Amino acid sequence: MRLWVYVVRRVLLVIPVVIGVMTITFALVSSLPVSERLISYYGPNPKLPYTPTVPCNKLYPGEPGNCTNPIYTKGVDALGLNKPIPEQWAIYIGNSLTGNWGYVGNKTGVTGQVPIASGQPVVKVLGWFLPYTLELAALSLLLILIIAIPIGNLSAVNRNRPIDQAARVLSFSGFALPAFLLGSVLLMGFVLLIGGSNGHSPFCTGQTSYTDLYGSWPPVQCFPGGVYPSWLNQGQISSPTGFPTIDAAIHGNWWFALDTVIRMLLPAFVIAYGTVALLLRFVRNSMLEVLNLDFVRTARAKGLPEKSVVKKHAGRNSLNVTITVLGLTFAGFIAGFPIIEEVFGLYGVGRMIAFSVTLTPYDFGMIFGSTILFTLLVVAANIIVDVLYAFLDPRVRLG
Amino acid sequence: MVEEELPAQAIEKPVRRGRRPSPRWDQFRRTWYFFRRNTLAMIGLGILIFFVALFITSFIYPANSTELIPYEATNGAAPSPNPIFPQVCTYQPGEVPPAPNCYLTPTGLPSVIAPTVALSPATLGPLPFGSLTLNPTEPIFYNTFDGLIKGAQWSITISVGVVVSGAILGIFLGVVAGFYGGAVDEVIMRLTDIFLSIPGLLLVIIVLAVFAGSITSTWDRVFLVIGAFVVVWWPTYARIVRSQVLVVREQRYVEAAKASGARGGRILRKHIMPNSIYPVFVQMSLDVGTVPLLIAAIVFIGFHVFPILNFPEWGTITAFSVQGAVLYSFIEACQSSITNTCIFPWWQFFFPGLTLFLFAISVSFFADGLRDALDPRLRR
Repeated sequence: MRLWVYVVRRVLLVIPVVIGVMTITFALVSSLPVSERLISYYGPNPKLPYTPTVPCNKLYPGEPGNCTNPIYTKGVDALGLNKPIPEQWAIYIGNSLTGNWGYVGNKTGVTGQVPIASGQPVVKVLGWFLPYTLELAALSLLLILIIAIPIGNLSAVNRNRPIDQAARVLSFSGFALPAFLLGSVLLMGFVLLIGGSNGHSPFCTGQTSYTDLYGSWPPVQCFPGGVYPSWLNQGQISSPTGFPTIDAAIHGNWWFALDTVIRMLLPAFVIAYGTVALLLRFVRNSMLEVLNLDFVRTARAKGLPEKSVVKKHAGRNSLNVTITVLGLTFAGFIAGFPIIEEVFGLYGVGRMIAFSVTLTPYDFGMIFGSTILFTLLVVAANIIVDVLYAFLDPRVRLG
Repeated sequence: MVEEELPAQAIEKPVRRGRRPSPRWDQFRRTWYFFRRNTLAMIGLGILIFFVALFITSFIYPANSTELIPYEATNGAAPSPNPIFPQVCTYQPGEVPPAPNCYLTPTGLPSVIAPTVALSPATLGPLPFGSLTLNPTEPIFYNTFDGLIKGAQWSITISVGVVVSGAILGIFLGVVAGFYGGAVDEVIMRLTDIFLSIPGLLLVIIVLAVFAGSITSTWDRVFLVIGAFVVVWWPTYARIVRSQVLVVREQRYVEAAKASGARGGRILRKHIMPNSIYPVFVQMSLDVGTVPLLIAAIVFIGFHVFPILNFPEWGTITAFSVQGAVLYSFIEACQSSITNTCIFPWWQFFFPGLTLFLFAISVSFFADGLRDALDPRLRR
């Protein structure tokens, strides 16, 4: 099979999965009370509750009895909530596939944290914040590879020796230590380290060392003139690309570009530390398998130094499995983004999830939208990994 | 590596007259033999036994099991009669110490910092390290020591509930898929594909968010949490069991059972099921430790999993102990500190965090040892 045929087939296979995921979210949304669905679409109404009937004197002062609630009937009609379930499902899937994911509805909550997002379409808002999350994910992935591959290889070569045991304990501790706890403790530790006993920021006068590490970028007071540059829209999103590092570089602000990367190092490390547990084991086992193969024995027999055998012969061949596992771990660590972004105050998609679950009522548009987005990311990552694997190992696409 | 074949004591079994030791028991003895030689696994087992003891203790421990109780404001009053962890008693500079075990509060420091000011080896005995504030501007110190003991009830019940019900569902579907194959298999496996492609934490959050509004009593919330986690975890178990069943159903003994006229149900129950669920045990013991960690994570991002904030559950306590507001007030206190006695409030998150960490790491050591002992290829 040609590579592109494989790619097309792989992409087509994903469509039922995506529709299935949307069906699950549809089932969940449908089990919400109608009033909550109306609130999450139109925002809370201070004058009338979203109930089928209201006391008439709320509509026409002085009238006794109960009347049908006009905003309820209007909302139910507009959202199609009185249609048969299969038709609702079809509408829902259609809307989900075309990117109509509703609006950032609750005008009370997200407004306080992210003013520019309130009332905007969910897709648009997710689009603003996705680049930052992707940038963080890329950095974490890099760190994971840097940590996991050498340590995994080392523990395979020194199987059951103290190094192997230490690596095992390290990886288990990464799995067992809550990311938010490690993140918070590291954040506080570094804040104290930078700020010293008086806690002042060495980089920005009048600020505390806390602001040097917390947040995607420095507070507004640290910018020249006390205002955000125009391309850093109100200190919430950067334009034109949304990747703050790239945007800063485009605008020639190298100091800022470096600063955004430094602020991502600690969160990326915490993510990597938590994820390495799974990967380390796979790297070790695949390396062990490869080390037992014939060509490694041949390499040893012809007198190659052990270092070159491990690095060039075994190491490269065990990489295939590692790439597959990376796809799996991506699903694991993308779910951790709300936590990490909350700990370090980063403006990414995960933080938006954290904001929307703190509201009463919950901002369901954002919650479901970001869940679907993260699912799509996982699915896309799996496709990329599979294609990469097929590219590296032709047996996959032939078989 | 050195000894690949079973040593004598691992195979030999006491043969008693009239009673044949069952092969299952035999297998257990063999597994235990290899498990015992794995140091990390034995450490994990030791800590696990401690947690089981803690779980049992939590039912007889005299404390409130539905909420964390604040230490009372005892400024001027005598400390509590509890000999191990007395109540917090503080006084301002210039005042007369109201009782022997009271702590000097330096002016300018918020109460988050205050209780550790007396931190020194000499006074380590009466330290109120089981203390937690939910809101740094309010000097309410919840007794997390009692909370962590009582929390064993909730955390372990929820975790075990999740893995047991998830495993029952997963094993059932996995066996059905693996044994019957065909369209049933295809449907169940595509379902697992769909569920596995949603990031687990987010699936838990959306299930909780949808149903939490209408469920407010504590016990119903506990069941909801268990249900939400089961939704996430059954696919893993189903897949493991299915792949195992696919191997087992081709074995000779299944063929022999078929040849001797056993029906499908009996083969499933007696031959396939017992031989394919061991890997599920490994996965279950891994997942037991993950549940409190995930609950902690969900509470941390601001979703109130349980109806009250001061709920004595390990994850909840840990999450609140490192809340942004509490930490930030600590940083601020350090910066406004005149007395230079800025002390890291380590006790606040250290003990809850240690509980979660030990629980999770002990089960993962245990699970790892179990996997090595059960899988002949990984035995050392």
